[in-house]
Formats: sequence, C-alpha cells, structure tokens
Amino acid sequence: MKRPVLVRRHRPLRGGQPLAFAVGLILALAVGAVLLMAADHEPLRVYQRMFEKSLGDQNAWSLTLNRAVPLGLAGLAVAVAGSMGLWNIGAEGQILAGAIGAAWVARIGGTWPGPMLLTGMLVGAVIGGGLLALVPAMARARIGVNEIITTLMLNEIALRLLQWLIHGPWKDPDSYNFPLTPVLPAQAHLPTLFGRAHFGVIIAGAVILVFGIAASRTAWGYELRVAGSSADTARYAGISLKRKILTVLLLSGGVAGLAGGVELSGTADRLTEGISNGFGYAGIIVAALALMRPSGVAAVALLFGAVQVGGQSIQIIGVPASISTILQAFILFGAIGAGVFVRYSLRLVPTGVDASGEGGTAA
Amino acid sequence: MSQAAAVELVDIWKRFPGVVANAGANLRVERGTVHAVLGENGAGKSTLMNVLSGVYRPDEGEVRLDGTPQRFHTPADALAAGIGMVHQEFRLVPSFTVAENVVLGSAERILRRQDVEARVDEVARRFGLATEPDRPVWQLSMGERQRVEILKSLWRDARILILDEPTAVLTPNEADELGEVLRHMADDGRSVIFISHKLHEVTGFCDVATVLRGGETVAASLPVAETDAATLANLMVGSTSLAGERPPYRTPGEVRLAVSGLCALDDRGLPALHDVDLEIRSGEIVGIAGVAGNGQRELAQVAAGLRGSTAGSVHLDGKDVTSAPPRRRFGLGLCYIPEDRIGVGLAPRLSVVENAVLRTYKGHRRGPFLVGSRLTAYCRDLVERFGVRTGALGDPIAGLSGGNLQRLLVGRELSGRPDVVVAAQPTRGLDVQGVKAIQDLLVAERDAGTAVLLISEDLDELLTLADRLLVMHEGRIVAAFDPMDSERSVIGEAMAGHLADEGAA
Amino acid sequence: MKRRLFGLLAAVLTLGLVAASCGSEGVTTTRAAFVYVGPVGDAGWTWAHDQGRLAAEATTGVETAFVESVPEGGADFADSVRQFIDDDYDVIIGTSFGYMDDMLALADEHPNVVFEHISGYLSNDTNFGNSFGRMYEPRYLSGMVAGSATMSNQVGYVAAFPIPEVIRGINAFTLGVQEANPGATVEVVWTSTWFDPVVEGDSAQALLDKGVDVLAMHQDSPAVGEKAEAAGARWVSYNSDMSAFAPNAYLTAPVWDWGPRYAEIIEAARAGTYTPAPDGYWGSMADGVVALAPIASDVNADVVAAVEARRAEIIAGTFHVFSGPINDQDGYEAVAAGETLDDGALLGMEFFVQGVIGTLG
Repeated sequence: MKRPVLVRRHRPLRGGQPLAFAVGLILALAVGAVLLMAADHEPLRVYQRMFEKSLGDQNAWSLTLNRAVPLGLAGLAVAVAGSMGLWNIGAEGQILAGAIGAAWVARIGGTWPGPMLLTGMLVGAVIGGGLLALVPAMARARIGVNEIITTLMLNEIALRLLQWLIHGPWKDPDSYNFPLTPVLPAQAHLPTLFGRAHFGVIIAGAVILVFGIAASRTAWGYELRVAGSSADTARYAGISLKRKILTVLLLSGGVAGLAGGVELSGTADRLTEGISNGFGYAGIIVAALALMRPSGVAAVALLFGAVQVGGQSIQIIGVPASISTILQAFILFGAIGAGVFVRYSLRLVPTGVDASGEGGTAA
Repeated sequence: MSQAAAVELVDIWKRFPGVVANAGANLRVERGTVHAVLGENGAGKSTLMNVLSGVYRPDEGEVRLDGTPQRFHTPADALAAGIGMVHQEFRLVPSFTVAENVVLGSAERILRRQDVEARVDEVARRFGLATEPDRPVWQLSMGERQRVEILKSLWRDARILILDEPTAVLTPNEADELGEVLRHMADDGRSVIFISHKLHEVTGFCDVATVLRGGETVAASLPVAETDAATLANLMVGSTSLAGERPPYRTPGEVRLAVSGLCALDDRGLPALHDVDLEIRSGEIVGIAGVAGNGQRELAQVAAGLRGSTAGSVHLDGKDVTSAPPRRRFGLGLCYIPEDRIGVGLAPRLSVVENAVLRTYKGHRRGPFLVGSRLTAYCRDLVERFGVRTGALGDPIAGLSGGNLQRLLVGRELSGRPDVVVAAQPTRGLDVQGVKAIQDLLVAERDAGTAVLLISEDLDELLTLADRLLVMHEGRIVAAFDPMDSERSVIGEAMAGHLADEGAA
Repeated sequence: MKRRLFGLLAAVLTLGLVAASCGSEGVTTTRAAFVYVGPVGDAGWTWAHDQGRLAAEATTGVETAFVESVPEGGADFADSVRQFIDDDYDVIIGTSFGYMDDMLALADEHPNVVFEHISGYLSNDTNFGNSFGRMYEPRYLSGMVAGSATMSNQVGYVAAFPIPEVIRGINAFTLGVQEANPGATVEVVWTSTWFDPVVEGDSAQALLDKGVDVLAMHQDSPAVGEKAEAAGARWVSYNSDMSAFAPNAYLTAPVWDWGPRYAEIIEAARAGTYTPAPDGYWGSMADGVVALAPIASDVNADVVAAVEARRAEIIAGTFHVFSGPINDQDGYEAVAAGETLDDGALLGMEFFVQGVIGTLG
C-alpha cells in the first residue's frame, strides 16, 4: 500500500518557479475551461476578455495596479508578521483603523494644502493601524496571549468604531441620516499617475521595496528570520523576542493601516463601511501564497489584482459571479500553488513509514 | 515456554539514515504482567515500541502476538490487534469532554451522550481510573489526562498497553496512582509495557524488566523482585571496560565558572535544581552523570542564561552573571552547546551561513546592513576549520547530517575562543566518527585552558573525558568521583540515588 | 522576474486565441446594465431587482445584463460600470446605497448614459436620478397581520441599521400591529448587518426566548424565518416572498416589484426623454413598486379583509400611515391629530412611535 507524501526538497528546484507558474496556470485554465463550457460560455472568449481587461492595455493595467495596492500592502502586513511566525489576522481591522486615522486628519486639516494634507492622512493611517495592533502586540510580547485571537477580535472592534463614527459624530449632516462622512476635500485625493492608477501604486511599491530590503539585507531582518525559525534559537542568540514581537506587530499594523489610508485617499470619496472590502483577509492569502516574502507579495498582489479585475470583467459578458470567483481561485492557486513543487517533491511511500526524514531521533 | 507469550519481538532491526535504532532487539511480554522496558535516551526503546504499535515497520525481525506473526502496516492495524499506546504527548482534544475523547475515532458512530458517559464511567471504574466523563479535557490535570489516554486504549479493548515514559509528566502521587491502575490491568489478564528510566518506579510496580542499550537487548525479562536499582542502572549505562587512552590531565587553573546554592524550576514549574554548588576551573573537564531528567538539562540552561534561577548565583570569571542574558554571557566567554541542536542551537529553516553567524552577525554590519560577502567568508572559514561537510552555504541546514550539524554548532561556539564551555549531550545520536570529532574538540579546548562542563548520559564518555565526575540525582549533586579510580557499579548506585552520603566527596 | 511571469501569462493566454470582435460598431440600440450588491440567489433584495430587470426586458424588448456581488466603497463598482459603458450599455442601474457617490461622478463623466440609483438621495439635473419605494405602506399592512397573529402580544423586529429607512419601517409596522392589536408591543434588536444569517438568527432566537411569538425583519437572509419556524412562531419576511424557507411560520411580506419602474426608465432613455425626478422617485403601492405578498392561508378571513380594506384606502390616498395622532416612544405627541408627516420628515425619521421597545442604535 502506498500513499503520496510531500517531501521537502533540501534545496529549491532551480529555475522551477517560472515553469511551475506556467504549468499551474495552464492546468487552471484548462480546468476552468471545462467549468465554463459546462455553464455554456466560450472559454476562449472569456479568457481573452479577462486578459484584455486586466493586462491588455494601459487602462487595464492601471485598474490592476490600483487593485494590487491594498492587496499588496495588506499582504505585506501579514507577511512581515508571518516572517517571524506571527499571524496578524487583524489586517482588516487595521485597514479600517488606518482609514479612520486618515479620515480624522482630513477632518481637522480640510483646509491644508494638498501635499501636507495627504502626508498627514497617510501618517494618520499608519498610526491608526499601528494603534489597533498595539493591544495584541503588547499582549503577545508581555504575557504571551495568542495574537491570532486578539487581532481577529479587534477586527470587530475596529468595524464597530467605524460604524459608530459614521452613524454618529462623523456623519454627514446632509446625508439624510445615512451612515456616511462628508465627502473628502478635493485636495485629499491622491494624484493620478496614468489611466486610473493613483499615486498609491508608488507608495505601496516603495513600502514593499523597503521592507523587502530590510527583511533580506539587514541585521534586523536576520534577527526576524531567526526568531521566525525558532524562538528558542533566538533566545539562545540573545535576540530580544519581546521587542521583536512588539515592533513587528506594530509595523504590521501600521502597514495595514497605510492600506486603509491609501484606499481612502486613492479610490474612495469619503469614509464608509465599505472602505476595506475584505482586503485584510485577502492579504492573508496573498502573504501565504508569497511564502511570507515581501518580494513575493508584490508579485502575488499584482496577479491577484489582475485576476480580480479580469474576473469582474467577465461578469459583464454574463458569466455569473460564482463561476467568476471559482475561476479566479483556480488561476491564483494554480499559478502560485504549483510553486509548492519547487520546494517539495511528491513521493509515493509505503504506508506506515514516517517520511519526514527525521528518523534519527530513535530514543 | 509451553504457552506463547502475549507479545514477542524477535531480532528487530530498524535503521534510519545514519543511525541504527534497533540492532537485533528482543522483547517477550507475558500475559498479566507489568513489564518495564529500560534504557537510556537513544537506546532504542521508542523505536521498538513504534515497531510494536505499527508506526514503523521493522527492517528485519518479527512481531508475534500470542505466538502468531503479525504484519502491521499502520497503527490502526496494531490497534485492531489489541495494542494500545499512550504517548508522551497526549493526543486529546482539549475542548471535548472525557467521554468524547475516549470514543473519538472508535467504531461507534452516532451515540447518545448520556449512554456514552455511563459506559465510559463503567470502564473507568472497572480499572480504578477515577474520571468525570462529562468534564472537558482542558480542565484536567496532566495525570487525569493520562488516565483519559489509558481509557481510550481500554475502550478499544487493548490487551497490550504501551506507556511511553508515563510518569514524566506526573507528580509523585499521580505516579503512585498510575502504578495501581497498571496493577489492576495486569490482574485483569492484560499486559502492560512500561517504558521508563526512573528506576524506583520500575522496582516499585513492575514485575519484569528488559533493558536495552545501543539498540540491543542486554537483559531480557529480569524478574524485578530478584534485582535492584543499581544492577539495572549498570545494565543501562553498560559495563564495558574503561577506554584505555585517557588524554593526559594537567593541573587545573583558576575558577572560571562558579555556581552556588542554585535552585531552578523545570518547564512544568516544579523544582528541578536544589541548592547546586559547582566550580569549574581552567583546563579541566567536569562531567555530570545522571539518569535523564534529574536536573542536568536545567543546570546547563541556567548556566547559559536560558533559564532563570529561583535562588543562588552564577559567576563567570568572578563576575556575577546570575541575571545576565545569554548574549552577555557569550560576550564574557561562555559558550553553550545545547542538548537540542536543532531548535535551540541551530535555526531549522535557515541556511548554513545564517546559522554560522548566529553569535557574531552583529560584527558583520555596515550601518543597518549585513555584509553578505563577509558573512559568507566567515562561514566558509568555519566550515573548513571544523570540517563540516555541506552543500552550498546558502542552502538550508536541513540537508546536513547530524554529525555535520553538530560540527557546525560546536565550531561556531568554540571559534569565539571561550573561557567556559557548557556542553549538554554533545555527542548524543552521532555516529562513531562524529563522536570522536566532537570529543577531540572538547579535549583540545581543555588543553588550551578552557573550563568545560560536560553533561552526558553516556557514562563511558564521561569516564573517558572528564577530569572530575559529579553525579546528579533529583536535582542535587549527590556524589563526586575521580574517573580514574572509580567503580562503575558505585557510580551506578549513585545515579540510582543510593549511597548519596557515602559517595560524596 | 515579474515581467517574465507576466510575459508568460500573456503568452499562455494569447496562445490559440482567435481575434474575436469586441462588438463596438456604432451605438444605435439601448442596452441596460444592472449592478447588484449581492448574489441574485432565489429570494431577497437582489433577487427582487433581478425579477424587475427580467420584467423590464420582457416589456421593453431591450437587452439587459447584470453583475452581481459588487461590493460598495471600493473600486469594483466604478470599474464594472465603465466596462459596461465600454460595451455600449447606455442605461446603468445600481441597486445599492453605497454606489451613490460613484454614480454621481460617473454620470458627470458619461453625460450620454442614463444612471438610476436605487435607495439613495443624490441626483443631478440631466442623467442621474434616484428611485425608491414607500415600503412603509405594505409594512403597515404586514403589521396588521402580525398584530392579529400574536398570542403573547409581543412582536419582535430584527432590524438592520438605525437609519431612517429602517426606523420608518419599524414605525409603520408597529402602527399596523397596534391597529389590529392595540395592546401589543414591538421589540427591536439591531444586528448591524444586511445579510448575516448567523447574527440575524441569533438575534431572532434572543427575541423568541423573551416570549415574542411573531417576528419581522429588515435583512436579506431567511434566518429569522428559520428560527421562527423551529420555535413554532410566526414570521413576516421582507424584500420577496420567502414562504418557501419557513412555510409554517410565514405570514406575509412587504415586497418590491421593480419591473414597471425599470421599464419606465429604459423607455425614457430609449426615447431620449429621460429626466431625473427632481426630488427622487418614491414609488408607492399605487405605483406598484411596493406591495404586500400573499397572506398565509391560515390567517383569519376577517384579518385578510381588514388588510384588503386598508390597502384599498392607501392606494386610493384616503389613508396615510403617518397621519396623526401619533405619539412617540415616550408618550409625547409626535404627529398631531389631523396632520400628516411630509416626505422630508419621513426621509429623516429619527424617532420611534409608541409601542416600540428598544433604542435608536
């Protein structure tokens, strides 16, 4: 009797990544084609539209980039924590908190000149997200409370805070009691780069780049990797886990908060309950698919954005949202999930044999 | 031999890459007995039990139940044949009740809660296992959880119950209660296999003992009534004659590491060290002998700064470092070779380079950046000097063999020219070459004037390397010996907790 | 690296693709596109709009299309609408409140396209209007049915958000309950959800546990009905006839019928005569935009007759739900005898009438 087992390769397959990407994508598209045909749609027409509307021209690229901005920042937030073995499930709440922070600056600075107001809003966003992450960060660093639970719970609290603000003190007096803040001042919008792409693309790109370098090239990033690999080893090497946990979760929250600020000033006209749209949760997927690496986050977020934009475009030609969503998942997981085989190989082993390769501890 | 034994393991061989875990091990367990399987860490006990419980398939040899040869492919097969195993780490669902955990995964499908609880309670009472079937497991103490594990096996009508170091997580009272439960089961005609290295428990409630060493059976089915703890201890640590070539011993210098009145707790918060005094001088190797779990591990951790002390002090070259963090102690010349190579001494998913610079990376910075070329050069030098055989330096250390991992670790620690080396089980699990290499490094360090604290469960190693030998028992240093001039049997007695006063020097 | 990956993506996608025409040759026919916030499914808010779309397509013969599950607040809505416009759709109907700002901006951006927004309050003078319905009228009627059905004189209301639309519905319902059963009260629980079966079900259960035996609701999931069914209580659903989800509990439902209104908008757009209603279009039972779904067969014929009579009066304009005297929750006069609240007061309603138990948020 044999069973399949994933065995970690001692070294990643060289040059395997593009190959896995292509094979996974083709497989996903093939499976998707069957699904589309079963639902009476022409796969080629659907795929062509998906591609054209997400990556076919400058305008399509601008939509994809805009979508990739919150996904990338949220993904980075999760990945920064994840590289140390921490799970920030609270990016969604931190995005809301960041948007609240930015909106607050826009309220008090409505008359400031554009650059000053925008800078203030983004700083407010980072602080907002960071503040929300402060509680789980302290709880984890000081008394070891599991951050998965606390960050997740704070999502709800951030949402309630947002609801309270837009139903209460920040409500637009002209909104007939609808839960909305007033429209942002005109200069509170991020400038446009090309097509519909806004300046947030540059902000997100720069932030991801900085974190990418910090994670891979600095002593700080090295300590993070050690701590993420084994807390006991970090303690052994004299790395202060408490301080690392605190800074990493605060940074993670701040980056997620920035996503909220960029969304508010980039795509929204005012603060509403729909400001985040689940980007915080999508960020978990982005980070996981990117194997918690900042460089991977950028690539995955772009693909994710393209797939979302493309997936939406095929609804216009009558593909139901459910099928579009399944198709998006196929492509994303096919193209990126196949990357697993770059690091792992599939082996058939007889049942009853421990295939972890760590049989040496025969005590 | 008229009647077949309940369990027979015949000439079991089991090899893993680089390690032979079982080399012709034999075990014969009669019906209605509590049978101890003894041996030091690495003696092959767990592997043998994993063979019996279907986790591993033996490379050679045969498993017989009631005289019938068996071929288990999975633990489920073994379970179906009546073999239940209680692992050291409990496999319970904390949020489920006792009854739910007991029936989880058993043949029953849809059940009424009250019925199940009543039936679980009935089984529990029959064997004197006091439990409350409706309580969630997370509320239970370790001892109670263990009873649930035992109940799981009884619920599946296991005729042979294996307990892997069952008392490791128990308080002494709980351990005594466990002993009674095991008696009940034996009286009920079942067989209990009790894996342990706590000798007083073996003599307390086991009928028969089998001792393993180096993967082989060195004593089969000794009636416990006719033996004693010291004999068993000697069987466990071996009685081979002293290795001939002891490195020459020079007069030690000044005190490097001084520990006085040290007390500390273990991971469960129970006292692990009691008032330990210890001095190690420049140019000597002080060996610590003892049966595993008697405080050696905690002593090394406290010395290295990885575990806090509750009383007493640690001085390094005359400086009080009792509350100094590990990095400061390293800076003051104390290096530490931890018992857990991977997970403490080395970070599992990181590369060879990243692990090699664990102690020194701060010296390879330019601004906030680490200079990659310098890290690589440092690592290459280390690898060459200590003969670590490795692939690309940027590859994860997972690809290295145990011996090379230890060479990398020991090399990294020693390359800082330490004054004091704390080495915990530095050769455990290594092949002969690896053992030799590490031992040579330690002796060279001593000869260069370093003070070495060597903790080992391998008495031969201690007798070969140590200049002075201390024995730990239940968190205390109970005896001191001159390795040149001591009877193994006397050391064994001390390890078993006897002659504590007599042997002390 | 990224470039290479996307190069591959491009290669794979173009492999074997036939150059299909994009179909952008001249705009001559009117085509209407709908953007929904939820999935169409088989009941509820979005389903009711899609029924309207299908009806309008049947009456006008105009080609229609839709996208579903388009979230509010992000870029999704505007992206979808622009794609529809690229594909030569010239009537855009958005059926969720949160699309409002985007629709206003898009209407300025595309002056030749007609935009109609459901449930908002913004509009412009040329190509952007809004429509909604006087749901409080059938709410009142459903309250009469609920008031007759309660044995415990305790009616529960699982409410969404404390905005005027929802408050208006609770008040109208309560007035209806009290017409049929002056001693009955209506207890409100807020869920802060539009569609969350778990929260809504839990809220319903909490009310049932307090002794409520008839439940009404404002959300889009049938969870409240399922709890009522399980508890042997009765249920007034919303948006569409949801009797299939809880056949024994179901009493009736205030429902939407968007077909006529959508047909009207599309016809106006095709004729080039579309102008937004100055203060928004607020359709009544007389207009047919809102209605009361069939009443369960086990409801007493006298009750049905009374409801029918009121319905006729409302449609005829001889009865107005919010005509005085009406007291507020604390017993103070809110609407004097002989007065009727005007639309401004209705749209900004922020008080509970007497008989409602609960707070505003």
